Amino acid sequence: MRKILKIYKPFTHAGVLLAAQYRINFIFFILGDILMCFINYFLWKAVFNSGGAETFMGFSEVDMVSYIFISFLTSTLAYSDGSYAVGEEIRDGSIAMRMIKPIRFDLAFLFQELGERTMSLTLAFVPLVAGVELFKFFATGSFRFSIINFVLYLVSLILAYLINFYFNVCYGYSAFVLKNLWGSNFLKDCIVGFLAGRTIPLAFMPPAVGAVLNFLPFASLTYTPVMIYIGMYSPAQIALSFALQIFWLVFFIALQQIIWNACVKRLSVQGG
Amino acid sequence: MKILKKLRRVFRLHRIFIKQDLKRLMEYKIDFVTGAVALLIAQGINVFFLSIIFSQIPNLDGWAFEQIIFIYGFALLPKAIDHLFTDNLWAIGHFIIRKGDFDKYLTRPINTLFAVTVEKFQVDAFGELIVGILLLSVSVPSVNLSINPLNILLFVIALVFATLIYTGIKLITSSVAFWTKRSGNITYMFYMVNEFSKYPTTIYNRAVRAVVSYIIPFAFTAFFPASYFIAGGNPWFNIGGTVIAGSVLMALGILVWHKGVSAYESAGS
Repeated sequence: MRKILKIYKPFTHAGVLLAAQYRINFIFFILGDILMCFINYFLWKAVFNSGGAETFMGFSEVDMVSYIFISFLTSTLAYSDGSYAVGEEIRDGSIAMRMIKPIRFDLAFLFQELGERTMSLTLAFVPLVAGVELFKFFATGSFRFSIINFVLYLVSLILAYLINFYFNVCYGYSAFVLKNLWGSNFLKDCIVGFLAGRTIPLAFMPPAVGAVLNFLPFASLTYTPVMIYIGMYSPAQIALSFALQIFWLVFFIALQQIIWNACVKRLSVQGG
Repeated sequence: MKILKKLRRVFRLHRIFIKQDLKRLMEYKIDFVTGAVALLIAQGINVFFLSIIFSQIPNLDGWAFEQIIFIYGFALLPKAIDHLFTDNLWAIGHFIIRKGDFDKYLTRPINTLFAVTVEKFQVDAFGELIVGILLLSVSVPSVNLSINPLNILLFVIALVFATLIYTGIKLITSSVAFWTKRSGNITYMFYMVNEFSKYPTTIYNRAVRAVVSYIIPFAFTAFFPASYFIAGGNPWFNIGGTVIAGSVLMALGILVWHKGVSAYESAGS
């Protein structure tokens, strides 16, 4: 473990520098995306005002507002652009340079991306969590921050990131065959976002559909951590969802290894 | 006569450029199809989201489901038309100026703004256009809308000037790059405000409503004109506001653009 950290630390450092370079860019993009959260916030406020009921399919207004902002935070932090990075390297052939070095391809990417994530961690994490907790305080009149749920959320978030990373690397390998990425990545982001519960909580789906989606790997990416954070899961459900997250993580790591071994044999680098 | 001749030349050039761009696209057929399909799916998901909300409540702030669908569909049309014709403005703010590639437009015997926008014909926009037309046509029978020559004329006028609101805002924010070298992220932040226009502005609080109506007036691209057609209201405000906002932003955009072009310094190589 110590040895691994020593080998891959420079990649993390490079990631931090890269993120710092594009800091301003990142702030503007995040501000643009947060606007979407506020639109949803006003939309749900109007829904609760018009419906007249205290809850909407089991969610109170406070739950819903927390859901909107925490699911945005979760998908920003668990975001991985492994599929672009891997695909680009395959397309321009620089992947060959990685193959001649005595390091693991996936770990080098992983550690670099962890470094890049420090930017979203420092800029988005504290303001969003503090904002949501303050909102809850003013809406309910009492301080309802649960340390246990928060710690469990962090564990679930880390698992979500790792699953997302390996899923995206697997997806990026499609460039070995297709050599063309923009359209397919856009399509993937749309569908995965929906299945992960970023548009609406999976609890709002028709029961049969919801049950299936809960077991798919996508629920583990956003929905599971958020539900843990806002305290909608019982201890038994939390245990089950951790088991599922670990299962999908192992599944995608294994799949990644299998595809890599198979693909290396048919890699053809164009030009040189 | 001279103006007519000039216009003919512009349209002929436009055709030639689009033809060239379509040829390039045929090279990446699969990318084009997946891009348009993804936009279609993204909008479909949003409509599904709205239908789930309306399965639990009778109306949203007094607006029925069909009315919301009409406003939503209306919002997509100017967005799609602007997307179709002026997508290259994004590239201005993202990399064209920074890399010094703007030089090539200066050497051409046509207006720089025309040369930039005409270079790219963004067919992805057809995804939004199709969904917009589809939503409008399914909602028209169930909203209270009288189809007469005057309303059709007002519809076309609203559409044209709503498109100019989009183009004007993109133009102003991309032109900032002439001074700062890069402004794609600023364009992105302002452009995202358009998402507010898909819903009735009455659901927002006063500050947000004031911003999206009068400062970054995206409300005039969808909610105000659309609500004139389905809920009545003062056409001088709802449609006239769109005309004024579109004209002012576009004029400002052209002004800033030309000021920017004269301030442009190429990147050293």
